[in-house]
Amino acid sequence: MYNHTGSRGSGAPGWVLQRITGVLLFVVVLTHFFVMHANPASGHTYAAVLARMHDPFWKMFDLTFITVGLWHGLNGTWGVFRDYKMKPAVSLTIYGAIILSGIAFWVLGVNTILSF
Amino acid sequence: MAYQPKPPDGWVKTNIKYTKERGSVAWILHRITGLGLTAYIFVHIYALTSLTQGPKAFDDEMKLFQTPVFHVLEWLLFSLVIYHALNGMRIVIVDWANGARYHKKLLAVVYGLGVVLFIGMGILMFREPIANMFASLR
Repeated sequence: MYNHTGSRGSGAPGWVLQRITGVLLFVVVLTHFFVMHANPASGHTYAAVLARMHDPFWKMFDLTFITVGLWHGLNGTWGVFRDYKMKPAVSLTIYGAIILSGIAFWVLGVNTILSF
Repeated sequence: MAYQPKPPDGWVKTNIKYTKERGSVAWILHRITGLGLTAYIFVHIYALTSLTQGPKAFDDEMKLFQTPVFHVLEWLLFSLVIYHALNGMRIVIVDWANGARYHKKLLAVVYGLGVVLFIGMGILMFREPIANMFASLR
């Protein structure tokens, strides 16, 4: 049995999850775009957003979007970097920056949604 | 005799010549749009943190975003969204279904449907200015 070499793992779970989250985001992003961006009349005032934030469906929708969207985007970014030969220190720095920025912006976004 | 790799063609040639395949172009576009959308979701999350600073901060910010320039930028953003979404589905079909046998036909569907949806989104987003333009012609 051939074992993958190196310290990064085979990347297979990330590959599968990238496709699963991709299919999920296909629905979520297009819904979000049609409801919010395509339709300025859908309400971009503070009051309108607050009303939406009190609807459990949209709250859950946005939490899902932030979580899955950030993971898919950053896993994809790491996938791009993985294609290049990097020194271990560089690899570790980029991986760390990806993880830390992901956690930071996830907290930022979830904090915004859950403050209502 | 030991295997001798071909001498390198030089950086530019090595990095440009594989783009002659349509699938490679699709792959590069998928990466560029993906990185662009990832950058955008960061900006998007940061911009909406103004919600926690009360109605005035948020409404002032939205006044800026709800202007013609930003609506055009939003429309251009949709080109990244729709290409990445449709080509992403093509990748899933190639990987998990029998798509490898007809991935170039799927690519034609991606580009065709993408252009149609992009123009459709433009009409949807700018329906009021378009209607006003036609009304003024009458």
